[in-house]
Amino acid sequence: MRSRTPIFAAAALLSAGALSGCGGALPNAAAGGKENAVYAEIAALPKEKQREKARELAKDEGGTFTLYTSMTADIATPVAKAFEKDTGIHVTVFRGNSETVLQRTLQESQARRAGADAVETNFREMVALSDNKLLAAFHGSALDKVEKTGKFATWTATRLNIFHPAWNTRLIKPGEEPTSWEDLADPRYKGRITLEVSDSDWFENVTHYWLERGKSEAEIDQLWKKIVANSKVAKGHTTMMQFLTSGQTPMEAMNYTYITTRSAASGAPVTFLPKSGKSTVPAFPRPNGVGMLKSAQHPASAWLFYDWMLTEGQKELVGLHLTPSTKVPGDKSLDGLTLVPFDVKGLSHDQGTWDRKYDALLRGVDTVGK
Amino acid sequence: MALISASRKDPAAPSQDPPPPSRPGLLTRLRRKRLSAQTLLVGGAVIVVGYLAVVPLGYLIHDTFLDADGSGVSLDAFSRAYGGNSQSGDMLLNSLWFALGSAALALILGTTLAYIQVRTDTPFKSLFFAASLVPLIVPGILYSTSWIFLGDPQSGLLNALLFKPLTGTSPVNIYSVWGMIWVQGLHLSPVAFLLMVAAFRAMDPSLEESAAMSGASRLTVLRRITVPLVRPALISAALLMFVQSLESFEVPALLGLQNGIYVFTSRIYFVLRSYPTDYGAAGAYAIGLLLIAAAGVLLSSWLQRSSRNFQTVTGKAFRPRPVELGRARPVVGVAVIVYFLITVVLPVAVLVYASLLKYYAAPSAETLSSLTFDNYRQVFDMPLAFTALKNSLILGLGAATVVMLLTAVVSWVVLRTKARGRRLLDLLAFTPIVIPGLVLGLALAFVYLRMPLPIYGTLLILLVSYCTRYLPYGMRYSSAAMAQMAPELEESAAVSGASWFQTFRRVLLPLMSSGILAGWVYILVVSFRELSSTILLYSPGKEVLSVLIWEQFENGQFTTLAALGVCMVLLLVVLVALAYRLGARFGLQGQADSSN
Repeated sequence: MRSRTPIFAAAALLSAGALSGCGGALPNAAAGGKENAVYAEIAALPKEKQREKARELAKDEGGTFTLYTSMTADIATPVAKAFEKDTGIHVTVFRGNSETVLQRTLQESQARRAGADAVETNFREMVALSDNKLLAAFHGSALDKVEKTGKFATWTATRLNIFHPAWNTRLIKPGEEPTSWEDLADPRYKGRITLEVSDSDWFENVTHYWLERGKSEAEIDQLWKKIVANSKVAKGHTTMMQFLTSGQTPMEAMNYTYITTRSAASGAPVTFLPKSGKSTVPAFPRPNGVGMLKSAQHPASAWLFYDWMLTEGQKELVGLHLTPSTKVPGDKSLDGLTLVPFDVKGLSHDQGTWDRKYDALLRGVDTVGK
Repeated sequence: MALISASRKDPAAPSQDPPPPSRPGLLTRLRRKRLSAQTLLVGGAVIVVGYLAVVPLGYLIHDTFLDADGSGVSLDAFSRAYGGNSQSGDMLLNSLWFALGSAALALILGTTLAYIQVRTDTPFKSLFFAASLVPLIVPGILYSTSWIFLGDPQSGLLNALLFKPLTGTSPVNIYSVWGMIWVQGLHLSPVAFLLMVAAFRAMDPSLEESAAMSGASRLTVLRRITVPLVRPALISAALLMFVQSLESFEVPALLGLQNGIYVFTSRIYFVLRSYPTDYGAAGAYAIGLLLIAAAGVLLSSWLQRSSRNFQTVTGKAFRPRPVELGRARPVVGVAVIVYFLITVVLPVAVLVYASLLKYYAAPSAETLSSLTFDNYRQVFDMPLAFTALKNSLILGLGAATVVMLLTAVVSWVVLRTKARGRRLLDLLAFTPIVIPGLVLGLALAFVYLRMPLPIYGTLLILLVSYCTRYLPYGMRYSSAAMAQMAPELEESAAVSGASWFQTFRRVLLPLMSSGILAGWVYILVVSFRELSSTILLYSPGKEVLSVLIWEQFENGQFTTLAALGVCMVLLLVVLVALAYRLGARFGLQGQADSSN
């Protein structure tokens, strides 16, 4: 390198500078924030006084807080408005897909920059945030209403995404609907099913369910191969639903029931329930949840939002056709479904194993390693 | 080349040429007049371009080559990316086939169209403007989806309404490599069109006329004169479109996955969405793409090595005169209409039709009777629509202007000086094209989160991101324009006592204006749809249109999205038409005819 040449020297200098500047690019262990004093102050009080205290403390926080969420805009916007109406606190919402929410939160906390006060996103990303010790524990009375399966160390389920097949009622006639996950392997569905390219958590849950009910690994492998042979692959649950409503595809191996319900509500000929109104396909409810950041700049407001999402916010979710994590009068989203437990343990710390297995299955190659 | 050489100096004897004014002068002057306008401008532009390119590249290299524990250099990421069951060989072949096919199709379509537009007396010239821009404006998601509704083997409108009744068969299958090439090629053809229009404009037709007078047939003129003369632009366009197709994700995701056609970007998507995210493997794929792109850049500079052959903008004035098509005029006219129908009318008609529905369904008496403007009402009721439009405009205009100004200067350094490292600079400026948007987003977030300047969380970080992302395009547009310029113009200016800055501003920039305006328009339009880095870097209150589009898409509101797409097409067509009109008013040569 001849540094006397200006251009080259400038480029070399820049390269060196940038490389040294990137010295800590995404360290493996994210820095966890300190436990916030405000959270401790609220938690120290008896449960019935916590909300009042949080409201009082929130007043000093400027009447606003920041939420990072993967709720779609048509859900996040009314949720934020309802919260503001109930509490007077304005919600600044950053929306992204769940991976983006995770990436952004991790990056900001690694750089020790204030970003989110609270996060509301999917199961896997909430687990990752919790594993990275970014979330503060919540001990409010709102937890009492949540089922045990919806409670985690530093986050709590707010809504459930239910895994279930969906179909176009003009193309799948009554009597043709699947009655079990095994049915998807039936030759009558040859070329009629669509699989989503990233549904590894569904793949794990069905596999786990079959294993628990005594199927051998060989049988399960066979079933999956037949299902894949019946199917085409698409990307994105909402994209798939759009092709289902237009009659481009007859059936989806799995879509979230709320997406189907919302589509059907706009008049599209799609459903996830057979004509009888009762499905025998085991439905897996994946918990999506809320957490508050240890590093929050508006911790009392974040606490209030957490609390609200598990109480008043639950009714708001029902109004938007979502499945709340607590029992809410008027919630019909689970009617006709046969729920079975979501495999929290199998997917909590799987290090991407099921992503790789599902990817290999779709590409028709053998999985290498774990 | 004999015909060309006959009309100008022998390129094989460069020693006869007077040395370009700036060649020995640059370094000397840089040293001597350390703070002259030239030093500041050239040095500043080089530093900014180098900086923009090096940040994401450095981040990528760091993540790819460093051990998991951060202690040493390792190539593990490459074995994770390319080894095991990754089917990287198949994917590379699929990727190359798809990219080459798309680039070839786009190049043929774009160049032909540009030639007809600039050099002939074809009818329907006004259609070219729309045909060249609309596919560029429509976001990839919408364009691909429109083609699915048109070309699905079972229910696609083309099969159901056209081929089935006529032939009894359904020959169109959009879910094939050919389908992918078709959609990507059509979507890319504006890149070639914009570059080639600029190149044809800057070409002195007297060379072709001389050849024709000497008895060469029309085909020979085209083959021996016209095509060789626009070679820099052709090569630039081919390179850009090839690499862009390698890097593109929307078409392979929507059309390729259906039948298991996986390409490299499918793998990048896979590793980036898994958790824990394997940035090393993503980097290894990006570096694979980078090597292919680097080979492309080197090949393109090798192909352009005898640069004087292409210098058509000389001190001699010329007035482009259209080729009279004669009897072929009606045929060309029909071809133009057919092309316009296929690339613009069909997909936009699907969008307009979808935008009037509650949910998408094939046309029937039932759907046609329930058409509604609700989706447009929703678009105008979106609380963020105005903010997003304003931010997109600021960013689009800002990025287009900054990139084209920077690259005009840097392309001068690369093509006109003998400065050492200029090839590296050219290569460096090309690297952002292969860096996955998300990695770019992460790199910028990483740097600016740690910088005390108020950039993170503002529109500025998006501007930096867009400038980085579109730098390679700006460079290609600028250097294609610069390569056509003979140094004698600068020499004359220098002899007449003009400073470097005056020469650059009064001679070079105006003469390059065709190419610069084309690049400006391209960047303005595509920055409206940039999402992959935006989605990580935007902040609440700083939303842009592409984020709104993404939100509608995530909401599953294809019909609302279609309405938004139609509005975007209208807005950008008006904006670009205005830009061309203004360009014409302020003396940019020969622009007026492109917008009428």
